[in-house]
Amino acid sequence: MEAEAEGDVSLREFTEADAEALFEWASDPRVVRFQRRDAYAHVDEARRYIIDHVLPHPWYRAICVAGADRPVGSISVKPTECRASVGYRVAHAHWGRGVATRAVSAAAAEVFAEWPWLARLEAIADVENPASQRVLEKAGFTREGVLRRYVVLKGRPRDMVVFSLVRGDREEKPAEEANGP
Amino acid sequence: MLVIRMIPLPCSRIKHRAPAALLQPATSSEMDRGQEPQAAAARGVEVSLRRFDLADVDAMMVWASDPQVAAVCRWEPYESTDPLLAFIRETVLPHPWFRAICVGGEEERPVGAVSVTPTADACRAELGYVLARAHWGKGVATAAVKRVVATVFAEVEGLERVEALVDVRNAASQRVLEKAGFRREAVMRKYCVLKGQVKDMVMYSFISTDSLVE
Repeated sequence: MEAEAEGDVSLREFTEADAEALFEWASDPRVVRFQRRDAYAHVDEARRYIIDHVLPHPWYRAICVAGADRPVGSISVKPTECRASVGYRVAHAHWGRGVATRAVSAAAAEVFAEWPWLARLEAIADVENPASQRVLEKAGFTREGVLRRYVVLKGRPRDMVVFSLVRGDREEKPAEEANGP
Repeated sequence: MLVIRMIPLPCSRIKHRAPAALLQPATSSEMDRGQEPQAAAARGVEVSLRRFDLADVDAMMVWASDPQVAAVCRWEPYESTDPLLAFIRETVLPHPWFRAICVGGEEERPVGAVSVTPTADACRAELGYVLARAHWGKGVATAAVKRVVATVFAEVEGLERVEALVDVRNAASQRVLEKAGFRREAVMRKYCVLKGQVKDMVMYSFISTDSLVE
């Protein structure tokens, strides 16, 4: 399968062999802080997650940088009706370089091409997660509003900022250049 | 008939799932006519909610067979009571929160329905409502929605948020929610497909700590 690439960030499918790489960020409290899942304690949890959730998923990709095969994060797109929602996570060592922004741009290009029925790609970011909000803004998403008490995160209801990229946006408004090398 | 989430599928295969907001006036003059009586009647409208029964099928048929009501819903007008009975049996009766709207003490014959449907997150559920056309513009939907938010948080464990999605062009239904104390949060662009047309939808919510409107 052709991997979608943006700068030195490329996306590819996962295999079971990626369990250790996935465990590296999935066990990091800083990375999972705004995710439903608790940090993994053992690499077997990562392996199970790949087998049970990643491989059967409609669209789940490993994020690779600078031509290296070991993934530094993951990005997934979940379809519903005429829309889909995107989620992503990057190992802490690779924060602040535009990796997530480029992964989101690449994923958006790929799913809009692959799914002609797709009208809207959306994402939510915790109100207290400005870094993730900036990723989406830089990737060309439009901030639509705040959804109050939208999800339960680690036992507490959270307000979430909702963003979207609709099919018309991509022709009219290219994403800003991501920061980083 | 409305607001039942099926397993998420690409839009071409969705059969039933209606957002809230089913009081679409066809013309602006109908909207104007709706404003005055609604303001006066809302103060005097007596609405009660109760569970449905199979015996309600004839009353339900009044709105379920009405093309003007169906126009803003995902479903096509029902042409016979058999599929409607199936709907009551398979969807309404097992539903966690689906209520008949009765007006003026007329418990025998509901004039509409309101539902609060769970989502993937236990803290939020989606409001939907439908009303027979004869009762549009009288404040019935507003009164019903007010009753919902006054009672549902105590009845559904873990519920923190009731949300409703309304077509951007359905001003009447947006007013129902605003009068019932919902807050307008966002316009969700190209959010869903309704009868072949991609729609922008406004997201409204009422959370458990919001003030009830008298």
